[in-house]
Amino acid sequence: MEINFSELKKAVSLSEKISGKHMTLPVLSCFLFVVKKNNTIIKATNLDLGIEVTVPVRSDSETVFAVPASILSSFLSQVVEYDGTVKIESISNNIQITTKNSKGVIKTVPHEDFPNIPNLDGDQKTSIPPDLLVKGLKSVWYSASVSSIKPELSSVYLYTNGDKLVFVSTDSFRLAEKKVQLPGNLKINDILLPLKNVADVVRTLEAIGENITITVGKNLISFEVDGKLRLVSRIIDGVFPDYKQIIPKTYIAEAVVLKHDFFNALKVSNIFSDKFNQVHFSIDPKTKVFEIETRNNDIGENKTTVDAKIDGEKMEINFNYKYIIDCFQSIDSDSVSLQLGGPNRPMVIKPVSGDQSFLYLAMPMNR
Amino acid sequence: MNDLSQTWQSALIEIQSLVSPANYSTWVKTTRLIKEEEGVIYLGVPNEFTREWLFKKCHNSILRILRQLNEGVRALEYVVLKDEEQKAVNSKKQAFVAPTMSMPLENFYVSKEDNLNSRYTFDNFVVGPFNELAHAAAITVAKTPGLAYNPLFVYGGTGRGKTHLIQAVGNKIKHDFPNKKVFYLTAERFGSDFFDSLQNNKAQQFKEKYRKYDVIVMDDVQFFSSKQKFQEEFFHLFNTFYDTSRQLVFSADRHPNIIPELEDRIRSRFNQGMIIDISELDKESRMAIVRAKCTPHNISLDDGLVDFIADEIEDNIREIEGIVNVIAHNTLHRGRMLNLNEVKVILKNNIKPKKMLSVKEIVKTVCGFYNIEEDSIYSKTRRKEVVKPRQVIMYILREDFNISFPSIGDKLGGRDHTTIIHSYEKIRSDIKNNQLLSQEISQIRTML
Repeated sequence: MEINFSELKKAVSLSEKISGKHMTLPVLSCFLFVVKKNNTIIKATNLDLGIEVTVPVRSDSETVFAVPASILSSFLSQVVEYDGTVKIESISNNIQITTKNSKGVIKTVPHEDFPNIPNLDGDQKTSIPPDLLVKGLKSVWYSASVSSIKPELSSVYLYTNGDKLVFVSTDSFRLAEKKVQLPGNLKINDILLPLKNVADVVRTLEAIGENITITVGKNLISFEVDGKLRLVSRIIDGVFPDYKQIIPKTYIAEAVVLKHDFFNALKVSNIFSDKFNQVHFSIDPKTKVFEIETRNNDIGENKTTVDAKIDGEKMEINFNYKYIIDCFQSIDSDSVSLQLGGPNRPMVIKPVSGDQSFLYLAMPMNR
Repeated sequence: MNDLSQTWQSALIEIQSLVSPANYSTWVKTTRLIKEEEGVIYLGVPNEFTREWLFKKCHNSILRILRQLNEGVRALEYVVLKDEEQKAVNSKKQAFVAPTMSMPLENFYVSKEDNLNSRYTFDNFVVGPFNELAHAAAITVAKTPGLAYNPLFVYGGTGRGKTHLIQAVGNKIKHDFPNKKVFYLTAERFGSDFFDSLQNNKAQQFKEKYRKYDVIVMDDVQFFSSKQKFQEEFFHLFNTFYDTSRQLVFSADRHPNIIPELEDRIRSRFNQGMIIDISELDKESRMAIVRAKCTPHNISLDDGLVDFIADEIEDNIREIEGIVNVIAHNTLHRGRMLNLNEVKVILKNNIKPKKMLSVKEIVKTVCGFYNIEEDSIYSKTRRKEVVKPRQVIMYILREDFNISFPSIGDKLGGRDHTTIIHSYEKIRSDIKNNQLLSQEISQIRTML
């Protein structure tokens, strides 16, 4: 068959990450090529995610073969970029790839055991621009739990609320929530997308320009561009806690700071933080001082003041530096508001002006 | 089960000889047998891919092997399992590196299957003279679902613990009878579900969805008032449940007989079982509740404070809970117990002030309740449907607001004070014998 080089390279690089690594079954670390007269479907799966990319080809025969994903993708990435076509021929247990100035023969793997990538038919289908999903997922996914004790917490939770699609994740020490506006009145069932699949889903969605169709089943979600690409991911069949009850409605002290100032102050103080990354905040409305303090017996100590507009009561509270610094990647505004609810209560961090669709919660430290 | 897992072990050995080792360890080894039910074997698989592969490549051979080992096997079903591996290992690590406090997320799981909130149990339900009958009835229902009182209908004003009580019934049944499917919902949710199903032409699915449960717990039934279509559908659901002696538990803010615009056939069906009210909280119960609400916060208030709070908040457990939360927070913040004055300030800021009512507002509420024109109260008409509400108004004004007879007469269209005295005495004696009237009046009182 003949196939456009850049199309092939794109399809292979999309699928390569999703193909299985260290699998007991060799065919799972392969691409499956299903060659038809006009197009070829390249499939890869690690049993948690599955992808099918369809590329146009010109072929005389219809065949199926499986080649090791890492070999093919390394080979193609070394070939100098060019505009022409690549010729791939399947000869007995090998494939022969001919490019402009290179020829490769790769051993194939018996393809019979390559699993079918499940279809979700008859479920509710929704068409949606992929950048909405990318934006939402990227805004919150770092807050999800990395431990797999509670599968629903090591996921990003998506649900619709009116005309907004809401993304939430929490590891129970901090929580991030992002709302994005849906075009039109779409209804999507609740989704718990596992954290370990989020990166692959985001990467795939970023490569797509046009609207995608989402189908949500009980254990699976599929993202599809008709006739071009289909990505299937496992989703968690579980319940996300009713996190809204945790979001404080009132606060006793508020500090409004410039994001840039606060971010830098945190970075400086982190140099001197202890092994628990503890940073100490003191907020005093009388003297109008917001001070960040860290101390490490082995290194030294640091005090940094941040210019802030302070309201409410005097507060002293400790946080884990890591849990605070993470949220800045999702805040676009110049100033952020830090709202403290009192000792042992979470701090709410929100952008002050502009886009208000993001909310972050960080729990204080015990000591 | 033990027998079953042995069968599966022997089946595994046979399957191993059928497929290649790589296939075996990828697809078969990761499965586990969940249960057998009426000849159907349920096999747990880690993901959809495995399900597809087994179904396409091995389904018949596995079924054949299982049949050879156990003739009762009729079918094989695959269930995708949630992943819950590595529990023990990770939890140890977590405990070590987490000096940051964690959010109390555990409390906020509402089970998707049955909608019940696991926080509502009988164990943390405060029983007092005002609700002991309701509590006893609820316990009976929870012990013998479908048999004792069906339906159980609990009513009472807001914040008296109806939802807690009926959810506790659900949780208890779920715990004691694991094979019974319990479902909790509000009448409003039932309505919107029904509406959605009509819009999407899925009326049949809607019917099946609810009929598969063994126990339905429905909150806020007064929502059905004047909604004919919902009542119709609800009526059929009710009959199906009742005929197959499956338990129904309802709550509402008033007695079914005085829920306006409720079809008679539904009303009479509510009356079929046990209707029980949670009456006003007496002071001892309020004090008990204040103490009970303090326990989870690890604070203990002295008797004077408890007494004071119980005096100030009269009829709403939710308000008591709110106040205790604020007090607990303040105690923690200041690092010492609060004194009476501080609590007074908190109470002043946090509970809604006692409403000041004008005579006009009372007239309006009562007229709304009886569905008559307001003007007719002030007029001279002696039509029966006006006379009674008018007398009720007089009674309430005298009894609850202590207004003098002449001034009541004055405000209600210039009547003589003896007329008022007569009406007041009449209602007062009627209440003793007329259950319905007394219910109506207590209902009106909650609406004021």
